[in-house]
Amino acid sequence: MTGSGKRALIFGVSGQDGAWLAKLLLDHGYEVHGSSRDRDAVSFGNLQRLGILDQVHLHSAAPVDFRSVAALLEAVNPTEVYNLSAQSSVSLSFEQPLETLNSIVIGTVNILEAMRFLNSGARFYNAASSECFGDTAVPAAEGTPFHPKSPYGTSKAAAYWAVANYRDAYGMFACSGILFNHESHLRPARYVSQKIVRGAADIADGRARTLHLGRLDIVRDWGWAPEYVDAMRRMLSHDRPEDFVIATGEAHTLEDFVDRVFAGFGLNWRDRVEVDSSLYRPSEIAFSVGNPDKARRELGWEATHRLDRLVEELVRREQERRRAD
Amino acid sequence: MSKVALITGITGQDGAYLAELLLGKGYEVHGVKRRSSSFNTGRVEHLYQDPHESGVRFRMHYGDLTDATNLIRLVQEIQPTEIYNLAAQSHVQVSFETPEYTANSDALGTLRILEAIRILKMEKSVRFYQASTSELYGKVQEVPQSEKTPFYPRSPYAVAKLYAYWITVNYREAYGIHSSNGILFNHESPIRGETFVTRKITRAVAAIETGQQETLYLGNLDAKRDWGHARDYVEGMWRILQQPEPDDYVLATGETYAVREFVELAFAEVGKRIAWKGEGVDETGIDEATGKVLVRVDPAYFRPTEVDLLIGNPAKAREKLGWTHTTPFRELVREMVQADLEAFRRKAG
Repeated sequence: MTGSGKRALIFGVSGQDGAWLAKLLLDHGYEVHGSSRDRDAVSFGNLQRLGILDQVHLHSAAPVDFRSVAALLEAVNPTEVYNLSAQSSVSLSFEQPLETLNSIVIGTVNILEAMRFLNSGARFYNAASSECFGDTAVPAAEGTPFHPKSPYGTSKAAAYWAVANYRDAYGMFACSGILFNHESHLRPARYVSQKIVRGAADIADGRARTLHLGRLDIVRDWGWAPEYVDAMRRMLSHDRPEDFVIATGEAHTLEDFVDRVFAGFGLNWRDRVEVDSSLYRPSEIAFSVGNPDKARRELGWEATHRLDRLVEELVRREQERRRAD
Repeated sequence: MSKVALITGITGQDGAYLAELLLGKGYEVHGVKRRSSSFNTGRVEHLYQDPHESGVRFRMHYGDLTDATNLIRLVQEIQPTEIYNLAAQSHVQVSFETPEYTANSDALGTLRILEAIRILKMEKSVRFYQASTSELYGKVQEVPQSEKTPFYPRSPYAVAKLYAYWITVNYREAYGIHSSNGILFNHESPIRGETFVTRKITRAVAAIETGQQETLYLGNLDAKRDWGHARDYVEGMWRILQQPEPDDYVLATGETYAVREFVELAFAEVGKRIAWKGEGVDETGIDEATGKVLVRVDPAYFRPTEVDLLIGNPAKAREKLGWTHTTPFRELVREMVQADLEAFRRKAG
């Protein structure tokens, strides 16, 4: 498949998913434009690490600012728009509920409104989240009702419905991808997956003694970010706009994740991890697993990295990074 | 009583210099930074201490000026005795592209902090410093500019900062908060943001000198500014909050240089003499020794509305605060060029 003639605009290109998506689309022959709030102030470390910094057309845009969004859409005139921007940390959303709401909901609606205002025929992908579901009694599919449990989740749920509403009301090709946890070495250290990997590496290097973590009994569905961004691309190449759950379908406890990471560094986590109740969230999702059947059936997409391979990748990349430093 | 400072905008140039100054004076310092997918704490990395250790005097918090309740909680938890509001969308050019966001963070953000002080009933226990700017003078109404010169802002950035200035004055008068403005003229350093013209020039000089760049593109070569060293200016901020009465002060050198003079001095640091040829957008700066064109004008860098002659009158700060700039212009340029040369040489390996 080739993307020749396709021009993508990625809001939030400096984050993990933005960087992986930019790389994927370049590999598919797309012209790729990406924006961040202040192009000149950020280092685009993720794009550098993937070696594509000079291949992405970079722009400044604040999704919370209508003029900024409209001007960028007009200048780039994309065929596909991916909104991966916004505050993306669940725990930070309890500290910054209003900024979270602004960046996620106002940001998404500004992009939708700007596309409408400009009569843009571009296809629109919005990053929804498994956090919309809250606890999942059984693996959540596209029709499963939402019950978000954080300011992040409530904001993502509102943005999800905005996308659905613009699709219904104005006939826009607009879709939400409901992605379950997806990790890689491009995640910043404040995310629990990288906190664990870097914490274990520090202990293995003798630079730290212990790692402080919150609840270990929570269950998540973890996948490998580089293949999740391919689901985004497939959604916009599909023949009709629809929402999809993207997940591995497998459930693991955080303890299981910690155990494998520590083992990867030749350590036993039980000697090294301290549970710190100050790191508990005000309300925590106990069980979060997705059902990716629809994506497999209609998009031909399936996660190939299960937890073993994911952890293996994360450990190996961290070891490589430390050797390079 | 122990002093506890809360600094918004800790990741910026002024935040880093101010944190260092206050730590040196025995303060407990709390810095606030915005979420970002990119690494943005390079300027304060050397001050970082593991929060699990005891006796830590420097801490970082996530915060955002567009989130009122977040600010209230931070102020409540930290119980600062001094707040320095240095956070802002601080780039003039960017403010023309994101006027709404600039107003939200720069104007309303300041209001949100002052409101947090009120809601927490800390009017008498905390002092507030607002980073005001010489951009407020914009289309200057007199030369030089003092605390009494009328404002004429000429960018969405400056207009937002004008609201912040007056709301700081208003909350002082209405609620008795010890809130003060420092109207700072340009202040630079080796850790100035790379998009600011001074740093852009010194980086280009270093890149050209080490063979990694050919030409430096600039906007208005005749824009005149009053440039000081950031290290001197954060000392002025601190002194403003040590006064028994809150007030507003211009911090400036009182000297002015054109962008082209900065360029000439910066190239002189690497032994190059610049000769100017042509006019307007066709003007070029030529290396006298080799004849190579080192500087060109790119109209893309012209602002929609340009600010003309900014030169501050720091007499009140000198008299009341005993403050004056100590780093001469030439030394500032030298320090910046040398730091960038070192960095580019390291990079070239």
